[in-house]
Amino acid sequence: MRFVDEFRDAELGRAVATEILGAVEPGRHYKLMEVCGGHTHSIYKYGVDDLLPENVELVHGPGCPVCVIPMGRVDDGIALARRPEVIFTCFGDMLRVPGSDGSLLEAKAAGADVRMVYSPLDALRIAKANPEREVVFFAIGFETTAPSTALTLKRARVEDVRNFSCMCNHVTIVPPLRALLDSPDLRLDGFIGPGHVSTVVGARPFAFIPADYGKPVVIAGFEPLDILHAIRMLLAQLADGRCAVENQYTRVVPWEGNRRALEAMAEVFELRPHFEWRGLGFISQSGLRLSDAYADLDAERRFDVPGVRVADPKACQCGEVLKGVIKPWECKVFGTACTPERPIGTCMVSSEGACAAYYNFGRFARGEREAV
Amino acid sequence: MTRGAPIADDLALACHSDHCITCGDEGVPMRVLAVDAGRSLALCARADDDRARDTIEIALVEPVAPGDRLLVHAGVALVRLEAEGAGAAPPTEDPA
Repeated sequence: MRFVDEFRDAELGRAVATEILGAVEPGRHYKLMEVCGGHTHSIYKYGVDDLLPENVELVHGPGCPVCVIPMGRVDDGIALARRPEVIFTCFGDMLRVPGSDGSLLEAKAAGADVRMVYSPLDALRIAKANPEREVVFFAIGFETTAPSTALTLKRARVEDVRNFSCMCNHVTIVPPLRALLDSPDLRLDGFIGPGHVSTVVGARPFAFIPADYGKPVVIAGFEPLDILHAIRMLLAQLADGRCAVENQYTRVVPWEGNRRALEAMAEVFELRPHFEWRGLGFISQSGLRLSDAYADLDAERRFDVPGVRVADPKACQCGEVLKGVIKPWECKVFGTACTPERPIGTCMVSSEGACAAYYNFGRFARGEREAV
Repeated sequence: MTRGAPIADDLALACHSDHCITCGDEGVPMRVLAVDAGRSLALCARADDDRARDTIEIALVEPVAPGDRLLVHAGVALVRLEAEGAGAAPPTEDPA
């Protein structure tokens, strides 16, 4: 398939890996963060890290919205789902995310009408087909997903679908990156930037990373050759003493992003003053809510949402995993009490979460590749 | 309390596929089969499986025509894959 097959070519992959080997300075340790959970998944699915020299370490970033959603927001969603008049719709990733008193899937087992959708448009269709019920869409995701929510809310307004509303949990990518860069825990050499977020926001928003922090960024696609090529580009910048935003994913990512998507988001959303991130705490202006113009479609204003705050389980070290401070297998409960079947932490729930990627692809410790 | 769709269906689909929808930053290449320009919708098929079809929001990439290839995320086309400039090269002078 065009745009895919040519980026999975093993021979080319080995050639780029050889170039990477030639580009690293012996004795220097390189710590590169892949921001996006999709990259983490691809790295372990295709064994990209096995092609890298020992001194190139990949650190897994916070770019999985399911992994960073705080437990309190899950509890709020479940409270809405339990209302008898509500049909609660969400992406499949959210169903098994544990709240303090079970998951949405467990709420569904207990009788709540929770339905999985592939897009917010599906949720709108359910609303139109069930005019006597209130349909709530649990919106989650970075800037890749936010435009689809924005367009659906605009469509709901145009089509006058009054029994549809949205519980907005959309987040933006730049504030957590800045928080990570300000964190004393972490010393990174460069970033593999998120490919599809960048189709919406473009490459320009990442310019602060080289400008303010002196670190290179390469926006990358999701095939194994994309990731290897991005690592090669990062190492070239480091070798040359340069730092800039470069775009490896030029076949998809326009430098300026998608103007229409940004306009739709600007119309429908506004920044929350603060939003809580699992493991990272409250980050200013990092979350989106519906603007006043769309207040009537805001589930948090339409219904009485508890707005609870819940501390993460003590055994769970998702926060340190999300900041790249520890590897998943260093967590006390990884693969024992916390597995994809019975997750304690969000990083084990989502297939893009670092813990699930390590578990599913047999990475129980550094160097081990035993099958599960 | 009302009862929703069978749980087993959702269990089978939830997070056992290759990628999650939201967090995977997933983009699916699709081919346009038919366009409803008045409603900014298009019937599209997955580029790797012609039988996998869905109605896609095309407001962000209009105008599109049958045969065009789109990168789709969560039911919305984000970029036209073949469009001139969609895969624009970075500026020679980096803004950083």
